[in-house]
This record gives sequence, structure tokens and C-alpha cells, in this order.
Amino acid sequence: MSIFAVNHLCREVLRDHIFRAAMQSAPAKALAPLDLTDDERSALLAGDVGTLYRMGVNAFLMNYLARFEVCGLNGQIYNERMCAVRVDEIGNPVG
Amino acid sequence: MAQIVAGFGVPHTPIFPHFVKRDGPDCEIAKLFGAQKAQLAATRPDLIVMFDTDHLNTFFLDNLPIFAVGIDKSFKAPNDEPRDVPNYIVPSIPDVAAHVRAAVVAAGFDVGMTQSYSVDHSVIVPLHFLTPDMKVPVIPFFINGHVPPLPTAQRCHTLGRAVGRAIESWPASLRVVIMGSGSFSLEVGGPRMAPGRSDGVPDPDWAMRVINYLDEQKIEQLIAESTQYQLLKAGNVGGELLNWIAMLGAIGNHKPSYVAPQIQNGHAYAVWRWN
Repeated sequence: MSIFAVNHLCREVLRDHIFRAAMQSAPAKALAPLDLTDDERSALLAGDVGTLYRMGVNAFLMNYLARFEVCGLNGQIYNERMCAVRVDEIGNPVG
Repeated sequence: MAQIVAGFGVPHTPIFPHFVKRDGPDCEIAKLFGAQKAQLAATRPDLIVMFDTDHLNTFFLDNLPIFAVGIDKSFKAPNDEPRDVPNYIVPSIPDVAAHVRAAVVAAGFDVGMTQSYSVDHSVIVPLHFLTPDMKVPVIPFFINGHVPPLPTAQRCHTLGRAVGRAIESWPASLRVVIMGSGSFSLEVGGPRMAPGRSDGVPDPDWAMRVINYLDEQKIEQLIAESTQYQLLKAGNVGGELLNWIAMLGAIGNHKPSYVAPQIQNGHAYAVWRWN
């Protein structure tokens, strides 16, 4: 279940310092062996967290990508892209 | 016999240790935790049982219990690198943890367990401030408050009551403090963050209402309004209120000694002492 793979790699950016360093320096190579769809891989490499959220990735886990500044993300860029996602009252994406 | 001597409601914001290190002992966070630290010391605890929501660090999406208890002689923390929190080994009492688990399972709750485990900021940040020498054993009792479906507030309160009875059936003399860890309204990393921040408080009115219900002992009202919809409306970690509700079930019907709000963070610091 590939969304699981995205959620898992987000947590590995926190827990696995070797993977974290690889994601910071060569993300395409770091992601290559993982069970991801083409859309997930593209969104990750583009730092397109809005699309990933709409795909169902857990926001708390995804925040690690910003915290450790991988895939072109930092706190400000992450905030802008996530806050651009339209959501309902309980945070589900709409539209 | 063991006795429950106090209840504490604590926030666990992972950046707070860094803020206190940066801003010193006179900052608001240091003072609020300092007041709780003094209260905790005055209770002379032999054990802390902490209701907590793991942030997918102890457990993960491939193995996620609704309820679980840590059963080991100690646990490591933190496993999620909060800034300016040293690595700790926290003592625990596995016999008491196993006794509590057996008792609440017999009472009808399906409680998992974990051994050889580590915990994240949600357990260790309050302990970092309240019992930094880590001499008081701690038993973490995990409640899934983040990944729907969440257990109901009523279920958590009843669980707390069962945990309280289980503790008080432990035959040795122990002074036990119950803690509930977490926020009332908070969004972390999600679309309802505040501009320029990594978090936000989507429902400050709810946070204030929770604080008023706690202060006025309107626990049944609090439980009734803490629907899954309301908890999620309060933010993607709004379910952490369930830990406070479980703590209230464990300690029974007591007036709080105080409830000190930090509405800008969507949480409060609270103490219940009655003797």
C-alpha cells in the first residue's frame, strides 16, 4: 500500500540519519528503491506537500520533510504549500 | 495499598525545552512548569502513570493500538529528537504495569502492550520539566488520539476509572500521580497551521470551553461535547484531550487546584490535589 510507503519514509527522515542525509543530498537516488507510484515520487521530489496531503499522507509525518529540509522544503515553503490546501472543518481536503 | 494522590494535566510542546533554555527561568513556560514541578514534589510520588498519545514514534501505522501500556523496567526517551532535550532512561515498574493491564482487560478493555520501547516528546517533555532527575518511575498508558477512528471520550473516561481502580488494588503501599499529556486545540504540520508557523490553534473557543469545563468540574459536559468531530475540528492533534479525560476518570471527582491556560498554544497546565 504505497501511501504507507510515503508515510514510512517521512518517519525515516526523522529516525534514519543515513536516509535523512541521502534525502538532503540526492533525493531521487534515495527514493529510487522505495515502493512509490510515479505520482507520489514526482510529488515528493517537487516538495509538493499539498498534493501529497490530498493523496492521504499524514501531515504530522510530512512535517519532518520540512523540519529536516528535504526535497526543497523548509518551514516557510511547507507552510505556504500546506495552507494553500482547501480543507473542511475537520481538515479533510475538499475540491 | 496503592493510592492515587494527585492528577496533573500537562502540555508537551516539543519546542518548549528550547524556549526555556533560550529565555531563562523567568519566562512564562518555565514558571508554569515550575509551579507544577513544585506541586508534584509536594505529592511525594512513588509512581507516575501518564496517559499519552504517541505521535507515531513508539507505534506506527503498521501496528497501531487504540490502547496500550508500556511494560518494562525502564524506557528510553526521546525517540523524535526534540530540541534541547537530553537522552533519558526513565525507570518504570513492570509488575504494576502488568497488574494494571490485567485488571483493565478483565474490566472489558482491550489493551495492548509494548516492551523494550522508547517514547517521544509527548511523554518526555513534561517529565523533563517536572521530574528532570528521572527518579520517579513512570508507566505510559497510550491512547490513540491522532489517527481516526478515535476512541470515544466516554470510553476513555471509563478506561481511566478502570485504571484508577486497578492502581488502588495494588497491594503494596505506593503514592501514585496520574498525568494526562497533550493539547486541546492544535494543528501540527497540517493545512490549518498559522501563517509562518509549523503549528496553529484552529479552535481557540473550544480550548477555552475545555478549560472552563475543567475549572467548573463539568466533566460530563466535557465528555458529551468531545465528539470525534469536535476533537478533529480542534486540530489534527486535538484528540490529545482524551488523555486528560482518562486522567480525570482515574482520579475521580475532585475540584482542580488550578487550571492555568495558555490559549495561544491551545493548552493548559492543571493540578488536582485533594489531601
